[in-house]
Amino acid sequence: MELSVIGTSQGTFCGGGELVRELRFCVPKRNGDAINFFDRNSRRRCRNSRLQLTLTASGQSEPVRSDSFPVHEPAKRPNSIDRVRLFVGLPLDVVSDCHSVNHARAITAGLKALNLLGVEGVELPVWWGLVEKEGMGEYEWSGYLAVAEMVQNAGLKLHVSLCFHGDRQHKVSLPRWVSKIGGSNPSIFYTDRSGKAYEDCLSLAVDDLPVLHGKTPLQVYKGFCESFRSSFAHFLGSTITGVTIGLGPDGELRYPSHHQHSNNSIPGVGEFQCYDENMMNHLKQHAASLGNPLWGLAGPHDAPTYNQSPDSNPFFNEHSGSWKTPYGEFFLSWYSSQLLSHGDHLLSMASDVFTNTGVATHGRVPLMHSWFKTRSRALENTAGFYSTDGKDAYEAFAQMFARNSSGMIVPGMDLSDDQQPEQTMSSPEMLLKQIRAACKRHGVGVSGMNSRLGSNGLDRIRKNVTGDENNVVDLFTYQRMGAEFFSPEHFSSFTQFTRGLNQHFAELHSDDLLAEETVPVVAEESVPVEASSSPSAEMQTA
Amino acid sequence: LGTHSHTQKISLPSFLRTDRSFPSLPFRSPHTAMSSVAVEPLLRYHRRTEVSGLRKVANPCCSSSSLNCSRQKLFHRGKCKLRVRRRSTAPFVIRASSSSSSSSTALAETFESSGDVFFRHSFPVTQTETVEGKIFVRVDQENGKGNWHLTVGCSLPGKWILHWGVSYVNDIGSEWDQPPKHMRPSGSMPVKNYAIETPLKKPSGDDPFYEVKIDIDPKSAIAAINFVLKDEETGAWYQHKGRDFKVPLVDYLLEDGTVFGSNSFVIWPGPFFSNILLKPETDSTLEPDDVKREDRKVEGIYEEQPITKHIAIENSVTVSVRKCPETSKNLLYLETDLPEVVVHWGVCRDDAKNWETPPGPHPPETVIFKEKALRTLLQPKEDGRGCSGLFTLEEGLAGFLFVLKLNDNTWLKCKGNDFYVPLSNSSILHSESGQEHFKDAAASVKALDQNQGSDTAFTNEIIKEIRNLVSGISSDNSRKVKTKEAQESILQEIEKLAAEAYSIFRSSIPTFKEEVVLEEELEQAPPKKSSGTGSGYEIVLQGFNWESHKSGRWYMELKEKAEDIASLGFTVVWLPPPTESVSPEGYMPKDLYNLNSRYGNIYELKELVGKLHELGIKVLGDAVLNHRCAQYQNQNGIWNIFGGRLNWDDRAVVADDPHFQGRGNKSSGDNFHAAPNIDHSQDFVRKDIKGWMRWLREEIGYDGWRLDFVRGFWGGYVKDYMDATSPYFAVGEYWDSLSYTYGEMDHNQDAHRQRIIDWINATSGSAGAFDVTTKGVLHAALERCEYWRLADEKGKPPGVVGWWPSRAVTFVENHDTGSTQGHWRFPGGKEMQGYAYILTHPGTPAVFFDHVYSNYRSEIAALLAFRNRHKLHCRSIVQISKAARDVYAAIIDEKVAVKIGPGHFEPPNGPRKWSPALEGRDYKIWESS
Repeated sequence: MELSVIGTSQGTFCGGGELVRELRFCVPKRNGDAINFFDRNSRRRCRNSRLQLTLTASGQSEPVRSDSFPVHEPAKRPNSIDRVRLFVGLPLDVVSDCHSVNHARAITAGLKALNLLGVEGVELPVWWGLVEKEGMGEYEWSGYLAVAEMVQNAGLKLHVSLCFHGDRQHKVSLPRWVSKIGGSNPSIFYTDRSGKAYEDCLSLAVDDLPVLHGKTPLQVYKGFCESFRSSFAHFLGSTITGVTIGLGPDGELRYPSHHQHSNNSIPGVGEFQCYDENMMNHLKQHAASLGNPLWGLAGPHDAPTYNQSPDSNPFFNEHSGSWKTPYGEFFLSWYSSQLLSHGDHLLSMASDVFTNTGVATHGRVPLMHSWFKTRSRALENTAGFYSTDGKDAYEAFAQMFARNSSGMIVPGMDLSDDQQPEQTMSSPEMLLKQIRAACKRHGVGVSGMNSRLGSNGLDRIRKNVTGDENNVVDLFTYQRMGAEFFSPEHFSSFTQFTRGLNQHFAELHSDDLLAEETVPVVAEESVPVEASSSPSAEMQTA
Repeated sequence: LGTHSHTQKISLPSFLRTDRSFPSLPFRSPHTAMSSVAVEPLLRYHRRTEVSGLRKVANPCCSSSSLNCSRQKLFHRGKCKLRVRRRSTAPFVIRASSSSSSSSTALAETFESSGDVFFRHSFPVTQTETVEGKIFVRVDQENGKGNWHLTVGCSLPGKWILHWGVSYVNDIGSEWDQPPKHMRPSGSMPVKNYAIETPLKKPSGDDPFYEVKIDIDPKSAIAAINFVLKDEETGAWYQHKGRDFKVPLVDYLLEDGTVFGSNSFVIWPGPFFSNILLKPETDSTLEPDDVKREDRKVEGIYEEQPITKHIAIENSVTVSVRKCPETSKNLLYLETDLPEVVVHWGVCRDDAKNWETPPGPHPPETVIFKEKALRTLLQPKEDGRGCSGLFTLEEGLAGFLFVLKLNDNTWLKCKGNDFYVPLSNSSILHSESGQEHFKDAAASVKALDQNQGSDTAFTNEIIKEIRNLVSGISSDNSRKVKTKEAQESILQEIEKLAAEAYSIFRSSIPTFKEEVVLEEELEQAPPKKSSGTGSGYEIVLQGFNWESHKSGRWYMELKEKAEDIASLGFTVVWLPPPTESVSPEGYMPKDLYNLNSRYGNIYELKELVGKLHELGIKVLGDAVLNHRCAQYQNQNGIWNIFGGRLNWDDRAVVADDPHFQGRGNKSSGDNFHAAPNIDHSQDFVRKDIKGWMRWLREEIGYDGWRLDFVRGFWGGYVKDYMDATSPYFAVGEYWDSLSYTYGEMDHNQDAHRQRIIDWINATSGSAGAFDVTTKGVLHAALERCEYWRLADEKGKPPGVVGWWPSRAVTFVENHDTGSTQGHWRFPGGKEMQGYAYILTHPGTPAVFFDHVYSNYRSEIAALLAFRNRHKLHCRSIVQISKAARDVYAAIIDEKVAVKIGPGHFEPPNGPRKWSPALEGRDYKIWESS
């Protein structure tokens, strides 16, 4: 398991992607061998047979130049190797509204620090609303290209997240022209039972409808991805090793079912988001096709509202809820299948676009861990995962990811059960385990992410990414760079975290290992035993 | 000649390999046929500069042609049986290659004469050797009648200290007592109340032994003398099988009532001496101990036992490259002062440093090694001082890679990497910058930048080979030590960068254009080695108090104590402000370039600094930058016009202090009202201050700074000054009040430490700061018995040290808080608890002069020795085990446990066994065994 190999800060000696990749294999499994965290050279010297085999196999038979090396390496080796590549997210606003790089100097310094720490790379959020702001098909990549350049110069890797959503909190919205269309045609947005539209991403129901000046959103997303591919062609496969496709609100594959966060610490179950015109049409057709047209007239009438608990209304009631009635099963499975096929469309589009570029595609699923320990698991259901007692939604989703050769990013790896309020019946750890099991069954690579920045979650993350074989994570993205990240309090624990991950922390105490050979009288590390039992007592009595 | 040198060649190795632990150390020359290998280089090679006695002893051995004969003699006469075992990876000291002469004179001449050397570099190579020597213990009587002496000697070089005590006849148990005053040799130093430390000295310059002689009084009731030997250089203790040495003395006179006589002492042949003889050749007891003393009548007893010590040996490799004008090939000349070296080498075509074997012709004695590299045995140089080789390399190669292999399978590398010699065009064109470039790569960011993707194949082989070697283990060790240094410097760099990123993210509203420029600057700035935070292992002594100026010759007084300071284990001394000052203590500076102060004049200061440097101690200058006293009045009669070399006018004074009518800008910090505050925002002021500080660095030799009253101006200016002077260590005094509610100190002092952190951040981490927060919390905890205060809400130390340990300089007292001023005195009588805390915890501890030279001395000395011995450093990890009302306990780096406070605490005996190490009033320290 390892984080990364350190690149040069000046780039002069940079061997490029090829070698860097080779070296990743060379970290031995065993503890205690002398592997130096900072020194790739000494790493190669560790006495471990695995190291040697890999090196001779691929190390020098064919020297290939880094920038022309089209290997799909991340996709190739999902969970076979005991190591994790650590990425750190760049600030959400790293590129400004006018396509300049915000805090460029801080970011340069930060990148250097990360590089020295042995972090593999950074994650770059690319906003649809920024790049294609002016009009459909008018892309402006300059800001992001500048960032990619900086990252490359820092000797780091880049994982790009294409964000097809907006973020109120950070004042990023969808492209202006899209919002404008939404103004006249609000049915392109998800809508809840009360008719309120969620304007930070498009409804999955319009994926195939030509609502954007005659084009379907899927076509627009595809155009965006293709433009990205051609603009960043010279980074793909070398500096850029992975792409995450935005799949919905906050980039996650889910419905915006719980977007109204109250400050109240106990999250409710959220609401179904099936009330926009197009979703309702789908539902109607689907119900009719099953011979139950009445079921298609509306969503569940007895579901709780956003911040209510599952038991507050009948639908999710633990024992007598409608969720286990035939209607409940009909609705929940339809609702979930819509999300599944949305994800399928987008990920297969992405895998088409990025095939043979050397980058791996990823999608993110949510970790809806509240109410996990109830039978109805309401929060997951409103978000689109038909998970109840006896139903494993993640099976189908993992299968879908596998079909599209996508890696699955799972957030919340910093959360532990004992930090959750008891009343929420929450279990992030068990849910994570369930998702991972499904991915393992289908051979989907799991990547990790944290949901909150803070020293408290680091231990949990370490457990999650370095655990047993079922716990394999090939990539972990730590969110996110910024003032808090670099604050002395946080950064020092992060430093320790990365060093701990690399098992090299023991290096600092290597002094202890000196004088391990037997030499006549040296007792370097001991103190005189002035006040302990010593020969004098014996001798005086002798 | 051939036969003769041949014999010697064999004999030397066997001399060297009397070592039990490595019975088969293969010091065999593969080329015994080469009679030209002379003896001299081998000898040179095994001689360390520190071992001054060695040469003398070794020479007679070599001059006799038969080793077997001389060996016995050697051991008996010289008693300095010295074994050398190389530990492994070696360092090289690089010499200028021009002085070298080559074995193949013709080649060398061609090489030297054709000029045009575009690359020349000397690689330092250090190698750890284990030398073996002896400790002897002798009890004898002068002239048969006189006083009896116990003599303890050691044949190895070092700063040997005898740490000893006595047991009395009626003592029960095994406690030590301090010996009576008359027994203590001069130079003895009491340690606690039961031991004495006496340094070993050479009786004369060319005596091979360091020894100490203790008088034994026949009439005293001393039953035994107990001791251990300590090497101050390495901090190592030498004991006998993990126990103290014990020399029992039984006075028959007292028991039998017989008369005095030379028989009144009997040395007990107790368990100690019967066990000591580990090796057959040490069997000789009651042997006349030294040639020089053969005339002395020896009775009593003489015993010896072997000891070992690790010593660094320095050698060098020099590489020069020039272009051959006729063939446009590169000629590379490699020489070293090591004997019998195989160069394991290859070339590379690009920066990736992939090893290749170049086509021939190759130098003589070259073999191809598994098609990946070449091995060339270097030819001995004609003057016998090492060996050399000339390599012809074709055009178009980017670099020459090599490692050295000694004939006992020891590999020598360059700081853990392969040696790399650039051959590229750029370095030909700019030989200067090429070398610079190379140096940077090799030295500064060493472990990182170098050798990124090189020679996987080659390394692979090395791994295989090392695996099969017995010495592999030790080679690991020394490599670790080296990479550890690299790690430390990298950690510092990381912290600096993070601090920079933090301060920008935190405060700035970015303007893009400006930042592009800054960014370029940043890119071009060479990586700095010195970050103002030292090695991480510093222990600072504040080398003065508020009264030190009174004698007028403080520098000289301190100089007399320099040795003592060094032996206590301090690595940094903070000296008082050196400039002419209105107040005698120096904190009201006037003419900055006038370094005649009440502490002494500039020459005495230099003498002091030189002395401290000699002892390996770094020196901090106390720089008062916030304010400066004026020489002249302005037209209103206000003193704000400066004199001396920096004759600033009132534009150098901040505008917002009405007392001084400055015409500068407003102050960027708080004002100190007793003198005109300097306006650091003025370019001319900053330029002058930088010039002055650089002058102090060069002229006086200060290694770093203690910065007075840094609250008075923006930390960004401090960064400027630090960057201009690259101090080894710097610490700022940012002292303001902690938070109190209704007169009671708040538990949470985060705001207080945040202000200090903010200042450090403003300096971009280029300087540390005194951890005032920790002092404050210690005050409250100790004074009121509220030890729970010593853990913050997150279970970390509550001071700056809990947040940014590498920049925290912890202290208990200074000249302001204590001494005769006592502005904020540490709770009386509890100082040692404070020291037990700061000297075991992370952060860089600073010890106050008054405490060192007080009753606390021995306790502080023990704590310092303890910190050094366990290699605790400013980034050590502290784990708080208990923070209760009456006790605080923590485990540091998992190897040291400490408690302070009257309450009870025992470290849990889990997988680790804890044994008590130090104890004092309300504190106790354990070490894990």
